[in-house]
Amino acid sequence: MRCRIGGPFRYNPAMKKTASPKKTSRKPSGKAGRKPWFWRLFIRVSLIGIVLLAGWMVYLDAVVTARFEGRRFEVPSRVYARPLELYDGASVSAGALERELELAGYRSGGGSAAGRYRRSGGQFVINTRGFQFSDGEEPRRQLSLSIFGDRVEQFRVLSGPQSPIVRLEPAQIGGIYPAHKEDRVLVQLDEVPVLFRNTLMAVEDRQFYDHFGIAPLSIARAMLANIRAGEVVQGGSTLTQQLVKNFFLTRDQTLLRKGNEALMSVLLELHYDKDDILETYINEVYVGQAGTRAIHGFGLASQFYFGESIADLKAHQIATLVGLVKGPSYYNPRRHPDRTRARRNLVLGIMAESGLITEQEASRAQGQPLGVTSQASYSENRYPAYIDLVRRHLARDYRQEDLQSEGLRIFTTLNPAVQYAAEFAVSDTLKSIDDRSEGKLESAMVVTSRDSGEVLALVGGRDPQFAGFNRAVDARRPIGSLVKPFIYLTALQNPDKYTLVTPVEDKEFSLVFDDGRRWEPKNYDGEERGEVPLHQALSKSYNLPAVRVGLDVGVEAVKETLRDFGVSGGISEYPSMLLGSVSMTPVTVAQIYQGLATSGFNTPLRTIRQVTDARGEALSRYNLKVDQVADSASVHLIQYAMQEVMQEGTGRSVYRTVPKALALAGKTGTTDDGRDSWFAGFSGDLLAVSWVGQDDNGPTSLTGATGALPVWSRFMSRVPQHGFSPVVPEGVDYHWVDSERGALTREGCEGARYMPFVVGSEPDTEVSCDGSFGRRLRGWFEGMFE
Amino acid sequence: MNSVITKRIGLLLLAGTLSACATGPDGGSIYVPVGGQESQAPEPPRVDVEPDEPRVERKSEQPDVEPRTPSYQNEGDALSPAAQSLIGEGERLLADGNPQGAISQLERAQRIAPRSAKVYFALAEAYMDLGQLGTAEQFSLKGLSLAGTNVSAQRSGWLLLAEIRQARGNVAGADQARERAARL
Repeated sequence: MRCRIGGPFRYNPAMKKTASPKKTSRKPSGKAGRKPWFWRLFIRVSLIGIVLLAGWMVYLDAVVTARFEGRRFEVPSRVYARPLELYDGASVSAGALERELELAGYRSGGGSAAGRYRRSGGQFVINTRGFQFSDGEEPRRQLSLSIFGDRVEQFRVLSGPQSPIVRLEPAQIGGIYPAHKEDRVLVQLDEVPVLFRNTLMAVEDRQFYDHFGIAPLSIARAMLANIRAGEVVQGGSTLTQQLVKNFFLTRDQTLLRKGNEALMSVLLELHYDKDDILETYINEVYVGQAGTRAIHGFGLASQFYFGESIADLKAHQIATLVGLVKGPSYYNPRRHPDRTRARRNLVLGIMAESGLITEQEASRAQGQPLGVTSQASYSENRYPAYIDLVRRHLARDYRQEDLQSEGLRIFTTLNPAVQYAAEFAVSDTLKSIDDRSEGKLESAMVVTSRDSGEVLALVGGRDPQFAGFNRAVDARRPIGSLVKPFIYLTALQNPDKYTLVTPVEDKEFSLVFDDGRRWEPKNYDGEERGEVPLHQALSKSYNLPAVRVGLDVGVEAVKETLRDFGVSGGISEYPSMLLGSVSMTPVTVAQIYQGLATSGFNTPLRTIRQVTDARGEALSRYNLKVDQVADSASVHLIQYAMQEVMQEGTGRSVYRTVPKALALAGKTGTTDDGRDSWFAGFSGDLLAVSWVGQDDNGPTSLTGATGALPVWSRFMSRVPQHGFSPVVPEGVDYHWVDSERGALTREGCEGARYMPFVVGSEPDTEVSCDGSFGRRLRGWFEGMFE
Repeated sequence: MNSVITKRIGLLLLAGTLSACATGPDGGSIYVPVGGQESQAPEPPRVDVEPDEPRVERKSEQPDVEPRTPSYQNEGDALSPAAQSLIGEGERLLADGNPQGAISQLERAQRIAPRSAKVYFALAEAYMDLGQLGTAEQFSLKGLSLAGTNVSAQRSGWLLLAEIRQARGNVAGADQARERAARL
């Protein structure tokens, strides 16, 4: 099969055509002395040669121009974290601010150059670089602030335009690369400092503006030098030739290749002017490698090695980058600093020799440290699960080819500090609960901003760096008791029938289906408690009351509530869905809990705020949207019970980890044999969902409270934030009640609770501190569960 | 040594006040830092409880921390100067006929002041300008859900809602909203 395509059967027009004149030339070889024959033959061969060469030139011309035109615009898209907003009162710890600055490529140390910061204790001075956002420019500024109690104080703009709130440049957290994995930051020639351009020409191609693509003199000079040294010490290639060589990414040095390069260089010069070629060279040149990503162009090189924009480079940095061209891996400044320094100093010498800088400047620059950043400012696989979700959202509106080549800027909602806390919580907690299951425990976590639906962090597995199965997005698992708030919410929407103190029956029963099958739900602990008030049934997550209430309001009504809150897939018709035999991904759970966390406003989850083109013009915006799907009053009642979960219910172990001052609301979820451990809950600022279980759906000895909740608590304890404290909606009043007896009571009586009621649905009986009833029970109270 | 003890007592008292505030209806949202220096004070010993046992609280160990009760507040949070300046910028852009630019600034304000009614009313006005009346109506409802007992916020919310509903052709709904504003 292989030899039919390759080898002797391959058609090679060039070979065939040059072979034929040889055949004809064999005949006359025997008949010497016939000059006219020879000349005629010579002319014919030459003509054929010229035609062939012309054809070859046309071909090369097409190749090189296509490459030149095409290559110039293939720029990967950049993915950015959300920009950090700094203002008095901003919520950020000193450690988080420092990490954030480093992620955005800031460097610690003195000086007032852009991209530098100074920290002493909680005191920061930051020199921002400025950034062109699509809604306006954030100019360069020098900021001073201090951080106390995880909050920004004494925020001041020391230089630059005044503003009470300033955005830092967003950190780049990833890119969407072309298949060949080339990365670059396009620069225009006028953004490149004149000193840079002149140095490049002084070192690589002195006659750049005078030659026609090749410089025969330089080649001769280089050959002479090479012969003298006995090895290749000097290249005579012009910048144009180097550019052509870079286009085809081949390092073999055959004569044919050299000839082709020379021809193409001449052709390139015929088509384009010098500045165009120089600009392309500056953007094309290969200057290093970061994993599988190839670093091209000086625009990216200055960021990659110095964390600075090309316009801001100093003489010694320019010399380093220009020196790199000779051999980016041999002179890799991070791996071989000594070689790099020697090469840089040589370049600085050439700069002084050519009069670009003075001797003093050169020797001062030669004494400077290399000053390269310790590592690339970001690693492309830092947030694989998050980027995965971003790509899925992008795929709705953008073609993969455009994302890989158009240099788009994608502004995401990722909050690096929150992501950091979530990753830590997952990996650290899982280590400590590994003994609770025979198989390997896995986990996922989603964190959103409570009122905006922005996805702040996403963890796809216990090893957050691993770009494999993204459980946060793809693991559809039964949600267990996470469904219960939706059952009770459906019930509480009818305040004439259900309030938080309505007694519900915690008693076993069996359901017989039409086909004769029986279903006998049980409580987790196997106990029955008789009548319990509704709020307690939810906070303690009793199964029997949930099923009874669910059957009373109807499975269909509960399904309807779930759909309103954002479940789009199919939901089981069976009553077992009331105990959570409905499967969802962690991201979907986060979506439906968003409505519970706000006052019934569904807020679509977003990972992207905006996509702009390379110049910063907005292409698409993904704006905040809200949609009220439940009345605020009944959601407020559920929020009360979900806070009780954290204080006295199944989630109370949270306060072993989290400060008591942080008011929280949430719900545990566990499925049969501990196959899934869930927790979903929220504070004033954040909503987080965590899941723990095995990929093969194996059993564990975990519950929602012992698997997912520890992950959730550890996360919440590490992020400074506001407590949950919902605004009482119109139509809700608080009353002191004895919830066990379903009656109003007085503050200070034993067991008195201050609870919210939809106006008019509060109990109309009163019980005094000594336990005697003031009025007869209301009719519905007795008659409801006969 | 003495000063350390005083400091710790001070911190405990502070923690006590904080948790008491957290349950109060009028203090706005309570900000809880992760700790930094505060977290270096030893945590009160905690009783390890099994998830299904009732929690035991020994009074001597948790002197100042009342048992928590679910938290609520009577009105949304006040605006910080930073949020106020962004809303001001948004309003200026809106007046200049740039509703999309206004929305960008107002969304910035919403992110740093998500529990204030005013920011949602401003968003509603920007969307009204864009002619996206459904979106505008939802934002005014969201704002109203945070107005609580603040009469002036309620009044601006209902009047805004009335205007939006009128523009949508929902005359009955507009009348109802206007009536609500009048009743305040």
